Amino acid sequence: MNFCSFHHESMVWQQKARLRIDSESDDGPFQVLICWQCEDAACAAACPVEAIILDQQTGAWVVQEDICVGCGECVTACPYGAMYLDETRGVSIKCDLCQGAPECALLCPTKAISLERVI
Amino acid sequence: MFAYKGFAGKWLYVDLTTSKIEVCSSEPHIAEAYLGGSGFGTRLLWEKVSPQTDALSPENFLIFSAGPLCGTLLPNSSRIAVIAKSPLSGVYGDSNSGGFWGPELKLAGWDAVVVVGKSPKPVYLSIQDDHAVLCDASGLWGLTTSETERAIRSEQKDAKIKVAAIGPAGENLVRFAGIQFTPQRSAARVGMGAVMGSKRLKAVAVRGHGPVRVADAKRFHQLSVSFHQRLHQNPIYEAVTRYGTPGITSIMNALGRFPTRNFQLGSFPESERIDAEALERRAFVRHLACFNCPVGCDKLFRVPDGDMAGLALRSVEYENVNALGGGIWNGDLDQLLYLNRICDEMGMDVISAGRAISFAMELWENEILNLDDTGGIPIRWGDVAITARLLVMIAKREGFGALLGEGVKRAAEKIGRGAEEFAMHVKGVEIPGQDGRAQKSMGLAHATSSRGADHLKAFPTIDETNQPDDALRRYGEAYLPEMANPLETRYKPFLIKDGEDFCAVVDAVGVCKSGGTNVFTEFYWEDIAEAVEFATGMEMPVERLKEIGERICNLQRCYNVLHGITRTDDRLPRRFLLEANPSGNARGSTIDLEPMLDEYYDLRGWERVTGYPGKEILLKLGLEDAWQRLCVFRKASESMI
Repeated sequence: MNFCSFHHESMVWQQKARLRIDSESDDGPFQVLICWQCEDAACAAACPVEAIILDQQTGAWVVQEDICVGCGECVTACPYGAMYLDETRGVSIKCDLCQGAPECALLCPTKAISLERVI
Repeated sequence: MFAYKGFAGKWLYVDLTTSKIEVCSSEPHIAEAYLGGSGFGTRLLWEKVSPQTDALSPENFLIFSAGPLCGTLLPNSSRIAVIAKSPLSGVYGDSNSGGFWGPELKLAGWDAVVVVGKSPKPVYLSIQDDHAVLCDASGLWGLTTSETERAIRSEQKDAKIKVAAIGPAGENLVRFAGIQFTPQRSAARVGMGAVMGSKRLKAVAVRGHGPVRVADAKRFHQLSVSFHQRLHQNPIYEAVTRYGTPGITSIMNALGRFPTRNFQLGSFPESERIDAEALERRAFVRHLACFNCPVGCDKLFRVPDGDMAGLALRSVEYENVNALGGGIWNGDLDQLLYLNRICDEMGMDVISAGRAISFAMELWENEILNLDDTGGIPIRWGDVAITARLLVMIAKREGFGALLGEGVKRAAEKIGRGAEEFAMHVKGVEIPGQDGRAQKSMGLAHATSSRGADHLKAFPTIDETNQPDDALRRYGEAYLPEMANPLETRYKPFLIKDGEDFCAVVDAVGVCKSGGTNVFTEFYWEDIAEAVEFATGMEMPVERLKEIGERICNLQRCYNVLHGITRTDDRLPRRFLLEANPSGNARGSTIDLEPMLDEYYDLRGWERVTGYPGKEILLKLGLEDAWQRLCVFRKASESMI
């Protein structure tokens, strides 16, 4: 979460992380809420202004912030809880795989997060 | 906007007597001279809490202080320092916790929370980003630490609130009561929880949604990634990650450095029943980590069956295994975990509580205590049922427990009959899980630490095991082989002076000593200097950082001198000086403290006879005001003679 927000915002700002760690208790078990870059992306389908576009090179669905209207339809549509609204900028934010080299996967000490191409 | 990044730039001043909350601006010259964390706290205590102030009076300050690196991207940037005059030692006190509370305070936009006065009724402080309010805690008074955390989260309908809470021990002013921080981490030592209880402050609950900014994002990011990589490549990374601090239990037994039976022995014959491997086999559930930590030395344990079936807890550290295991002659792991749980829930320091019990057990063995003294309770070695009962009695200040809750020094003075011989403390603070006879540098560290007997103020790790690699990397060939040998005294005064200065900085920036600086011996002056420079934007050559460390140590010392501390207080119990440690590699060893002290004072620029800081060093560090107060103090104390 911290490296994620730092990559995108140049500061630790957990509200702007594009992945979240969820758990019922402080002692775990922990679940990582992260974008799976779905083949049929529910977020992109739900977007009324077609602001979420597949980057062919990285395989990541990316929010075009100049097009996004901040309605939050994608947040509701995502089945993985991996779309978020950036309340200060008024746009939705999601994992863009750090342009192909996701820091979470590189730095996760337990390798609980890894990058794998499935297709 | 504050001149330096990393810092939030403001702190909260809370007067509980008047229920007034003020927002104060952080001051650049304080940040430049002391950074934050315990450095900030040291300066504030020095200025505001006079030597005449009783630690448990409303005039004492209770300072929660995060450093400029706390809550940043740097690995292990989780630490929060708590500073106050200690009710256990009566002098400078601080304690330090990992977890998530410190970073949350920074995310809420605060560097520190400073609490003074005494509330007419129990309260807790709730901080939600910019908003801070005092809430009624009458319904929380009497609850244990985890119950308090749950109740506040449920009252505020937010399960992510981070809570710093005291338990019954803090409420009842047990002199070694600690503060428990989400999630079950402790700032346990030297009675910060009792100070909190004396102010009728049950908890400080924090929730933050903002950012922590740094000055040079690109270089700070690179440095943080390189810290990650270096930790991963460190030869002990696998072991520390797997076992956490209890991992050293077996080797400390081999070295004779595992205090057993109140320091009668240096190793525990049943240590294999309670060491890290046993703990893992018996109760391991999963690895856990503090904020932003790639080491994850914390574990969740759950007892699978037997009388304690279902007992679950985390933060089971080496010190706990020692104090509640070998220390009291207990080889029953399930019971050890249960005793640990009692201390956490009651909110008291496992080290001091364990030592108070082993002190009582040794007095019983020597027939200094009898049933009349203890209210009909026999206190025999290894009796865990009695220990559990006594721990609760200490927390509630009931019967004989009330006496033990005063700490071993005061208890011994009241008991008399030679009990002092068995009170294993320095400056009133119980000695943690090391033995200065088995590691001479640690003996010196216990003697000189500003908060009384303590391993973390200098935290010498490079000469624990006689492996030369760390000593070589840090200090070079010239200091070998002695520097790496735990039984050698040569070079150790230098090691402790340098270690104290360095640890003062580590505590002032808010990173973890188990996360690379001391455990791992990976990050050192130049690494922390770079981190501070990139995070804050202050120019930070290594020499300047060293001066900050030295300044903090000297000001803590001056503060203690004003409270009557002299060389005679930089001592170790007679047992260490005259009774040989009979165990392991340390067999036959005592410690010759005085020559090391002489050299240590020389290196510090302190007077050998008194242990007072000298004029030259204080002026060099810009501590003119400290020098003047010392002169006045000296004049006054001489005129009394």
